[in-house]
Amino acid sequence: MKYFKLPDLGEGLSEAEIVEWHVKVGDTVKEDQLMVSVETAKAIVEVPSPQSGVICTLFAEPGDVVHIGEPLVEYEGEQDDSGTVVGDLSLSAKQESKDDFIVGSAHSQNNQSVIKATPSVRALAKRLEVDLSHIKPSGEDGRITTNDVEKAARLNFDKGQSESLKGVRKVMAKNMAASHAQVVPVTLHDDADVHGWFTKGNPTQDITMRLVHAIKQACVAEPSMNVWFDGEHLTRRLLTQIDLGIAVDTEQGLFVPVLRDIGQRSLDNLREGLNALRGAVKSRKIPPQEMQGATITLSNFGTLAGKYANPVVLPPQVTIVGAGGIRDEVVAFQGQAVVHPILPLSVTFDHRAVTGGEAARFLSVMLEDLTKASVEN
Amino acid sequence: MSAVNDMNQAQAVESVLLEAVNLALHYEMEHDESVVLLGEDVGTNGGVFRATSGLKEKFGFKRVMDTPLAEALISGMAVGMATQGLKPIAEIQFMGFIFPAFEHLFCHAARMRNRTRGRMSCPMVLRAPYGGGIHAPEHHSESTEALIAHTPGIRVVIPSSPARAYGLLLAAIRDPDPVVFLEPKRIYRGSKQTINNNGQALPLDTCFTLRQGTDVTLISWGACIADTLEAADKLAEKGVSAEVIDVATIKPLDMRTMLTSVVNTGRCVIVHEAARSFGVGAEIAAQISEKCFLNLLAPVQRVTGFDTHMPYFKNEHYYLPNSEDIVAAVDKCFREA
Repeated sequence: MKYFKLPDLGEGLSEAEIVEWHVKVGDTVKEDQLMVSVETAKAIVEVPSPQSGVICTLFAEPGDVVHIGEPLVEYEGEQDDSGTVVGDLSLSAKQESKDDFIVGSAHSQNNQSVIKATPSVRALAKRLEVDLSHIKPSGEDGRITTNDVEKAARLNFDKGQSESLKGVRKVMAKNMAASHAQVVPVTLHDDADVHGWFTKGNPTQDITMRLVHAIKQACVAEPSMNVWFDGEHLTRRLLTQIDLGIAVDTEQGLFVPVLRDIGQRSLDNLREGLNALRGAVKSRKIPPQEMQGATITLSNFGTLAGKYANPVVLPPQVTIVGAGGIRDEVVAFQGQAVVHPILPLSVTFDHRAVTGGEAARFLSVMLEDLTKASVEN
Repeated sequence: MSAVNDMNQAQAVESVLLEAVNLALHYEMEHDESVVLLGEDVGTNGGVFRATSGLKEKFGFKRVMDTPLAEALISGMAVGMATQGLKPIAEIQFMGFIFPAFEHLFCHAARMRNRTRGRMSCPMVLRAPYGGGIHAPEHHSESTEALIAHTPGIRVVIPSSPARAYGLLLAAIRDPDPVVFLEPKRIYRGSKQTINNNGQALPLDTCFTLRQGTDVTLISWGACIADTLEAADKLAEKGVSAEVIDVATIKPLDMRTMLTSVVNTGRCVIVHEAARSFGVGAEIAAQISEKCFLNLLAPVQRVTGFDTHMPYFKNEHYYLPNSEDIVAAVDKCFREA
């Protein structure tokens, strides 16, 4: 029930006499509609309705004296008395409102380092198409100066725009830097004489799968090459399963999908798996999980060019095998100088976790396996 | 309102802002005998908004005093009482009537500690309903907090929710120096909150972060907080993450919270109902420009009332800032980036 009380009529008047009602019970009134005329000591005052609504009760008859603040009219409705003499306090329909607050400032959610530059420097950078996040500030409080922006613009003009690394390239830059900072790499180079592959009647050998097989055999013989090493806590995890990361080169950059459990799968199955992974990489549909968790890596760069290398060990792995291109070379074989197809091999290992002996034995098993004419599926 | 009186002994009370004020007054008067109330219609009538309802019945006419219609008397008496050991809470019925009270507030309350070299202080609170938006006639919609904030020696506190009204009023009463406590009457009967009636004060001189965000800092106080939060919701739908800060204590300003926020977001919009020129927003904007110059991605924007008196009620909604105005100001920040 919403009451309308006689409002303050001003001039120190405390009461008024009802002269004439302009509405009756049951009427629907609009806001501002003239409702009642009252007479004060000084004048007749027209009182409008403060709101729209339906009149429910009239509290005084013509001739009655009503004091300021006494109810004149009651409207139908469910609102409580807002208790005001002057003005109209709206009653909110909202009930319980959630109001969590933090005293003082919230934790900063912005993890990017803050770029400090005056608005004029920012405007200059915008005009010269210079990205402020690429500039090393030279100002005393770490701010970027006009000079910095102009130099960067000149460099862009002379040498070409610098672009931020994105995606796979960015990841590669970070991973390689991290590896360099932690790993102690040592590489053993050797050659596998694979003339046995090309003996008459021998089926064509799948080079990658021969390498996979050789790695499998070598890991079985030297399990310490298939581990995860934590340099910070100095722990070593001997892994029962061999998950081989295979480096794949694409236009976007280097991807390393993982061929899982090479120890238990047939070579045909692994070839299918590798093709599927390559397809997924090419179509950019490969999920990130497929590129995580490798225990040892193969970089078969020989398909492009190159002989020996020092490929980068990716922590927490401790080994990476690099295979160069098979080429005909003149070699000494059984006391004769002959021309044989030779597969150059490099094995880089993290010397924090692996000894030279372990690596050498690993390499020797690989070589032995690779020289075989063929291997079981 | 009597329901609140019965319940003030209870711990958790659902209250609107007005009831929270009443709760705080009841609590403090019960626990501190030196607290007294004075003002027009505060005693028998319980206050024209019912803010002081039930207090005279409970604490008697010696502690809850109905004064004549004389604001200079109210503030003058409060100064006298305060310097002599009482803790007066003086009510000015509407902020529009506060001007005669300024004499004693500015000339004496604000200077007592300085003048007496610390021998005397003036622990008084001057409460007033403030702000527009209630379809009231002239003099009933003022927001002249800037006038008071500009005067050294007086704290200005403006709550924006029932919980903060309760906690901040208690803190204001307990503070040993003069505090002007402005209650945004437009939200007196706004949304309800559960208040824990345990007498726990909130800290003065600090902002409150109501929402965390990364793209823009929205600074406001009083009744405009509701519009600011609404704007933050609208901005979130557009993908802009807004941080909302309730200044609460207008003087002294907690610049630290606001600066930390602007350093992170780089953009700032200040919202206040009071007139634009020479308002509190100008002070905050000046300090932000001074100290966050290197981090600003756009000039500090202000969304304010106009440089006119609050219009009569049909045009009130033109005057008062709303969430659309705030969203438009944020858009400006991004265009100028």
